[in-house]
Amino acid sequence: MNIAKTLGVLAIASVSAPAWADPVTINLWTIDRPGEYHYKMAEEFMAKNPDVKVNVRSVQFTDMVNELAKAMATGEAPDVTYIDNPDVALFASHNLLLDMKPMIDKSSVIKLDQIFPGPLASVTYNGGIYGIPRGANTIALYYNADMFKAAGLDPAKPPKTWDELYADAKKLTQPDKGVYGLAFSAAASEEGTFQFLPWLQMTGGNYDNVNTPGGVKALNLWKKFIDEGIASKDTLIRGQWDSTGTFNAGSAAMDISGPWELPRMSKDAKFDFRVALLPVPEDGAPRASALGEGDNVIVANSKHPAEAFRFVEYMYQQMPRVWNEFGYMPAYPVTIDKPNYPEAFAVFNESMKFARNRGPSPDWAKISKAIQTAIQTTLTGQSSADDALATAQTSINGVLGK
Amino acid sequence: MLRFNRVFRDGGGFDSVLVILALGYLVAFSAFPLIYNLVISFQSVDLFTIATFKRPFVGLQNYRDIVGDPLFRTIVWHTVKFVLLSVLGQLLIGLALALFFRLDFPGASWLRGLFLAGWIMPGLVVGALWGWILAGDFGVLNWALQSLGIIKQHIFWLSDPSISIYSVIIANIWLGIPFNMILLSVGLAAIPADIYEAAELDGATRIQRFFTITLPMMRAQLGAVISLGIIFTLQQFDLFAALTQGGPSNASNVLQYWSWDLAFRQYRIGHGSVVSVFMILLVVFVAAVYVRSTRHEHVV
Repeated sequence: MNIAKTLGVLAIASVSAPAWADPVTINLWTIDRPGEYHYKMAEEFMAKNPDVKVNVRSVQFTDMVNELAKAMATGEAPDVTYIDNPDVALFASHNLLLDMKPMIDKSSVIKLDQIFPGPLASVTYNGGIYGIPRGANTIALYYNADMFKAAGLDPAKPPKTWDELYADAKKLTQPDKGVYGLAFSAAASEEGTFQFLPWLQMTGGNYDNVNTPGGVKALNLWKKFIDEGIASKDTLIRGQWDSTGTFNAGSAAMDISGPWELPRMSKDAKFDFRVALLPVPEDGAPRASALGEGDNVIVANSKHPAEAFRFVEYMYQQMPRVWNEFGYMPAYPVTIDKPNYPEAFAVFNESMKFARNRGPSPDWAKISKAIQTAIQTTLTGQSSADDALATAQTSINGVLGK
Repeated sequence: MLRFNRVFRDGGGFDSVLVILALGYLVAFSAFPLIYNLVISFQSVDLFTIATFKRPFVGLQNYRDIVGDPLFRTIVWHTVKFVLLSVLGQLLIGLALALFFRLDFPGASWLRGLFLAGWIMPGLVVGALWGWILAGDFGVLNWALQSLGIIKQHIFWLSDPSISIYSVIIANIWLGIPFNMILLSVGLAAIPADIYEAAELDGATRIQRFFTITLPMMRAQLGAVISLGIIFTLQQFDLFAALTQGGPSNASNVLQYWSWDLAFRQYRIGHGSVVSVFMILLVVFVAAVYVRSTRHEHVV
């Protein structure tokens, strides 16, 4: 088609556009690529709601907070956007997000009491509801059942407590074959915090109370994993995706990570892999797990909050589809006829009940940094777990203004 | 029209236009950001005030915070180590290669061109490559060293706190060698061959010729290569991002990475600016030394 023809077609198209319905345009920012969740949602919503047009723009996950903050300051923010769950409090505390509570109270679609406590906490700030989870994820213990059998362990009985985890991991470690007992991530990034926080929470601590005997015990156990060669030293600089890569390759017998690993694992792992809930400090101790994924939020000065909310409602309704189509855990209990990876799904779904929020704190980045520093200084032997957590507690108290 | 021509095409007017264009560019794209950075370093700035003017001045508080930070000394020391060792390694190997390629064997110029391939690769790609080479459990280097029987245990190049900074230095030396080699090759080619001939006739040995002819004649190039090497090394961010993220536990953290981490990961933008002000001072100092050391070259 040449330029003249194109122009002609465009001219006809613009003339024939219906003059009676000027569709409302809402802008959506996402970390997805075309074809993924938000693009699909926008397409479907537009097909069902011809009066609304949704413009989708992709932003890199790592740039999202910076880009959004800039856009909000200059008045160029989108109407609806994705925000990673620990960052919701940051934006809510600056009154940059719409409190959806009044709209939700009137909504026939969104029922807050349905949502799992973790995801719900992640969008709650000072009593307001500043986002709706688009899905969730959490972490659990993957293990190589073939290696369990070879080591004389019962693959039907994965470790339930920290002591069992240590004993099994030790037994499964084969330095001569380059096999580690356990793979996880203690990287100096949000991933390190994401993996460590559940261990702290199981012993009664939390992001604002890190200097606890339980925290010290957890960190010392992590140190033992590294020092005794049960986990690779590269655990300190490796994210979860790369750590799980070593599990898939048969270089680690157990691995702590989330459901996002399943598609690759079922392709790469040439062994019988299974999933179990994260081990707890001792029998009967409360469970905890990490909470990942993000939320659909409406920006406070959106010009079309009603349309934006309808779009958020639509996405909320699609929760039964997110596992099979997009690989997220549903953020409220749903029945799925034929879930992909049914055994793994059952474990992760159970684990969702214990998934705990990171924060909420508007200064999450600084708190997370303090926790990462404690992990890294302990695991490199620069300080003891007690000193490291005491230092972290001091910085966290400073951040929280305690 | 004539008057216009006289002033703006031949006369002082044209000269002024040229100066103003160059100066305008420098002011807009160099001076303004530098000064803006300096201003921010005296303000309390977070993510949400960066695009507005609601930024209270806090005097020297940011500077006190940074200098008083227990990490400050460590990170400055790492930066010094990173710059000195990187530049030294790049220079020595670059010079050795430049001398080697001057021997003019078949395919010498072709091979020399191939060396540039490393230099034109983006830092993140180089980082990913070295990440695979240096990985502790499945890295190529460990495999090679083990096959040769040099090591028994794997070396954790990137995650051992006593080694990680040297691993980044190795990658950075590799990255900087081609640039050093090419610049030094140009310098070598500019030395007239008859000087060597005369010296040879007078009985000067190879080593004498190197120290009495090559090195003194290369003064300008060496000065340029060292200064540019220091500046490039101080700008090296990608390798840290790709290899160690400054870790483990800040064992390979340097000023440039720290500045970014403070500003864009912890949203302490004022503090990040303080670190970059320190780096600007460092670069200005290096540039001044460079300009001084090559000043007489222009006279010749």
